[in-house]
Amino acid sequence: MSDIRIQYERTGGFAGLKLATRFELDDLPDEQEKQLRDLLDELDFFELPVQILPARPGIDQFTHKIEVESKKGKHSVLTTDSVAPEKLRELIELLNAIARTRRNKD
Amino acid sequence: MHRHPITCIIPPHMLKEIIHNGTQAQREFAMQTMATSEQFRGQRHATRDFASVLSFAITPGKERIIYDARQGSQLPGVPVRREGDPATSDPAVNEAYDGSGLTYDLFSEIYGRNSIDGKGLRLDSTVHYMKGYDNAFWNGQQMVYGDGDEDLPAAQRLFNRFTIAIDIIGHELTHGVTEYEAKLAYYGQSGALNESMSDVFGSLVKQYQRNQTAAEADWIIGEGLFTSNINGVGIRSMKAPGTAYNDPVIGKDPQPGHMKDYVNTVEDNGGVHINSGIPNRAFYVAALEIGGYAWEKAGNIWYIALRDKLTATSNFQEAADLTYQVAGQLYGAGGAEQMAVKKGWAEVGIIAGSGTPPTPTPTPTPGDGCLTAIFRSLGLMRK
Repeated sequence: MSDIRIQYERTGGFAGLKLATRFELDDLPDEQEKQLRDLLDELDFFELPVQILPARPGIDQFTHKIEVESKKGKHSVLTTDSVAPEKLRELIELLNAIARTRRNKD
Repeated sequence: MHRHPITCIIPPHMLKEIIHNGTQAQREFAMQTMATSEQFRGQRHATRDFASVLSFAITPGKERIIYDARQGSQLPGVPVRREGDPATSDPAVNEAYDGSGLTYDLFSEIYGRNSIDGKGLRLDSTVHYMKGYDNAFWNGQQMVYGDGDEDLPAAQRLFNRFTIAIDIIGHELTHGVTEYEAKLAYYGQSGALNESMSDVFGSLVKQYQRNQTAAEADWIIGEGLFTSNINGVGIRSMKAPGTAYNDPVIGKDPQPGHMKDYVNTVEDNGGVHINSGIPNRAFYVAALEIGGYAWEKAGNIWYIALRDKLTATSNFQEAADLTYQVAGQLYGAGGAEQMAVKKGWAEVGIIAGSGTPPTPTPTPTPGDGCLTAIFRSLGLMRK
C-alpha cells in the first residue's frame, strides 16, 4: 500500500475533453515518483489554498483539480492554467504527462 | 424601423474627403463605412486593396508579434517574428503569424474592424507553451498555443500542435473581440454563445482562406488537430454537432445540435464547449439557407449582433431574437435573410423573433443608417 494516492482531473480547454486519472505513487516509474514527491514537498501541498482561481473564468483554459491523500489526510486544490503559481504549474505538467500516458488504461 | 444600409450608401467621394480631411475618429468611421459598403456591393477584392492602403496610411493596422515560450509557462516568452519579418523555419511560428494575419484581414476587410479592440491592438501570440500542452487559449491579452502531445511516443499522441488548424487561431482571436464587445460571460448559455462566436468566426476565417461557399465548406473546427491515432475528423462539427469524433480512447463527440439535447453540467464552466453546438448549427443552417459566402451576410448579421446587441448575460433565446432583428435591419424585414436566420434557430429548437428583444434601441452605428452616421461623423449632429 502506497503512502500517497493522487486523483487528478482536468476539464475545459479548447477541445472540451475531460482527462482524469487516479493512481498511487508506488505505481509510477521511480523517476516520476521522485519528481512528484519532491514537488509535493516543495509546494507544501497540504498548505495550499483549496481554490486558486481567477476572478473570471479563463477562456479556453483548463481547470485542474488535484486531490492528494496521505497519512496527513486528504487535500484538494482547484486551479486554472494562468493563475497557478509556477511550482504548481510544474506539478500540473507532470500530472498531465502521467494522465495522458495512462489514457488507454483508465 | 431601421434603414436598410444598402439603400443609403454614402458616396465614395465623400468618404474619401473624410479620410483625407477628417479627425482620427472620423477617418476611422469613414474607412469602416467604406469597407462595409464595398462588401455589400460584393467588391471584396477592391475593398481588400483599398482597405490595406488606408490602414497603412492612416491608423496602426495589422501588427503581429509571435513569441516562443520554449516549452515553459512564462508568457509571453521570447519574440521570434515581428510584423513584416520573413517566415522562420518553425511551422508553429509561421502558422500563428499567418493565421492571426488572415483573421485580422477577415475582420478588417469584411466587417471594417481594426483588430481585436477595433483600434489596431497588436496581435500577440505565444507558441510552444509548456510541455505536452494539448490546448490553446486566450488569456485576456494574447493567444497561447501548445504543441499537443509532442512529448509522448508517436503511438500515444492524440493531438498535433494547436496552430495546425487556422480556425483555432480565428477562434482564439475572436475571444478577444468578444471580450471587447458583447463580453459574453463565460458560463452556461452566455458562455456557450461566447464559444460559438469563436467557432463561427474561426470557421469563416478558414472558409475565407479557401474561398469556399457555405455549401462547399466542411464546417469542421480543428481539422488536422487529432493525430491518426484518433478516429475523428476534428474537434467539433458545426454542421452536425456530435459527429466530429467517435473513438475508443477519448469517447464520442458530446455536442448537442438541438435544445432537446442541451447538456446540464457544472464542468467546463457549465458545458461552454458542449452546448455551443446548438448556436453553431443555427449559424450553419442560416448561412447555408442564405447561400453564397457565409462571411458575407450570415457572418455580418452575427458580427453586428456581437458588436451592438448581445450583452454579457445573453442566452440562446436572446441571441436568436437579436440575430433575427439584425437580419431584418440589415437586409429587410421579412426578407430571405431574416427568414434564413429564423430557420437556423428553428432547426435547433428555438423560435426567433417570438417576443420583444430585450435590448434598448442602440446608438446609431454605420450599420444603422448611413446618413445619421455620416452627419455625426462630420459633426453635424451632436451625438
